[in-house]
Amino acid sequence: MSREEEILRKLEEKFGEKIKGIRIQRSRRIFAEVNVEDLKDVLRYAKDELGFDHISTITGEDLGEALGLIYHIAYENSIELSIKTRIPKNNPKIVTIIDLYPPAGIYEREVHDLLGVIFDGNPDLSPLLLPDNWPKDVYPLRKDVSLEEMRALIEKGGGEK
Amino acid sequence: MSGSTIRVIIGPQHPALKEPERFILETEGEYVVDVKVRIGYIHRGIEKAMENRTYLQGLYLSERVCGICSDAHTTCYVQGVEELLGVEPPPRSRFIRVVVAELERIHSHLLWLGVAAHEIGFDTLFMYVWRDREVVMDLLELVSGNRVNYATNTIGGVRRDLNDERIQKIVKGLKILEERTKEYLKMIEKEQTVLKRTTNVGILSKSDAIKYGAVGPTTRASGVKRDVRADDPYAAYDEIPFNVIVEDGCDCLARIMVRGKEVLESINIIREALKRMPSGEIRVRVKPRIPPAEALSRVEAPRGELLYYIRSNGTDKPERCKIRTPTLANIPALCKMLVGGYIADVPIVLAGIDPCFACMDRVLIVDREKKRADVWTLDMLRRYGREWYQRH
Repeated sequence: MSREEEILRKLEEKFGEKIKGIRIQRSRRIFAEVNVEDLKDVLRYAKDELGFDHISTITGEDLGEALGLIYHIAYENSIELSIKTRIPKNNPKIVTIIDLYPPAGIYEREVHDLLGVIFDGNPDLSPLLLPDNWPKDVYPLRKDVSLEEMRALIEKGGGEK
Repeated sequence: MSGSTIRVIIGPQHPALKEPERFILETEGEYVVDVKVRIGYIHRGIEKAMENRTYLQGLYLSERVCGICSDAHTTCYVQGVEELLGVEPPPRSRFIRVVVAELERIHSHLLWLGVAAHEIGFDTLFMYVWRDREVVMDLLELVSGNRVNYATNTIGGVRRDLNDERIQKIVKGLKILEERTKEYLKMIEKEQTVLKRTTNVGILSKSDAIKYGAVGPTTRASGVKRDVRADDPYAAYDEIPFNVIVEDGCDCLARIMVRGKEVLESINIIREALKRMPSGEIRVRVKPRIPPAEALSRVEAPRGELLYYIRSNGTDKPERCKIRTPTLANIPALCKMLVGGYIADVPIVLAGIDPCFACMDRVLIVDREKKRADVWTLDMLRRYGREWYQRH
């Protein structure tokens, strides 16, 4: 059994139906999906019991009704496990994981900036990438924000919409 | 100095370089006690731009994320797109990718060594290293046609082949680079100018390197043996034997030694790649539209783990293209290194992770008690660092 299959089996054994659509896409790449309330348990187990000690980054994406988050964590710098979850767009809140992975703080700040996700418990969600005077309700990576709209905003020098 | 902290603001504006960062240092006397980071001053929205352009246009955008490691970005990008397409690039192209990637690494590390020397006031070394850097820039120009933004990769392979004449010239250039790099490494180990300013400066312990998610030479200088080329091989790295360079000094000196030795290792990798390179095609043609799929691509850029997550949606444009550069990953670890150190060491510690340098060019010193603010340039901070060390 390959190391990837072993990890997949252990995750399935531990979390059963809570872990959905888990698959080995190719060697060293595993994708899985969890409900938002199970996210931290899965991450904690992967970190403490399976040795996923490095967080590569957090990807945020606009999925229409929901916002998607993908936590990319690495085992021995080799196997990347991408755990997906989704949160409603009208209440985009999720709990922070900085207690598990301290460097996640800066990745959460980035997702907060670009998609407007609020990470409960992250003490520093100040702007990381966007200007200080960027309007509060414009999140550039959301699909309803067009390039034209952003260009106009930038030409105006930021400010309220 | 009872209880009064002074806020020292470093950065961000600089028109010449990329990735300006701003560090807000809380200092007590000569010590840094806390660090806050603000980046994004030249955020260009490349991820959003990618969603609005075709995969081929995205290739040219990814080339321009970083001026120093443009090849790492395109390699990471095309690997991701090739995985979405289910296309294997021809074997010869995978070896050419290794050759260009390692030439780029040599260039990046030599450039960095010169910058690091400049930060500690050792401008003689800076001049020598940057003279030799011309050798590798000429080789990159020979291989790709460009001194920067090599535009070697394309979706499905590479754009230019290597012929015998070019290979001979590369081999000749590598010999010069090898001799010079060995000379510098020998000198650095004994040179007091370097040792006094870098030994035990900017400490990052092995456990902190892992805890704070450091990548690349920064983590390898703290004794963590991690290198995407070896651990998660791509291109032709699984067909070429090489060593992962690790140092356990955990300080700025170790970061110099790791990069210096990596230059020598890169030279060996290129020699092996040229020897083992099979003949044949260098690219396959691909379709512009990509059915829905997702791919996570990683490469070892000169500064460390670089990551692209790409999701396709059946059109000729990606639904999402996420980029995570190594400098961002090293910022939490950098903050850890700065805390507890001297203000005078800030330039070399910052340089230690090999960030993009723009951040450093303006320094604002705010005295909270006196409500006074002075703007320092990087030169002033450097001078301050050198003079401080002359007195102590």
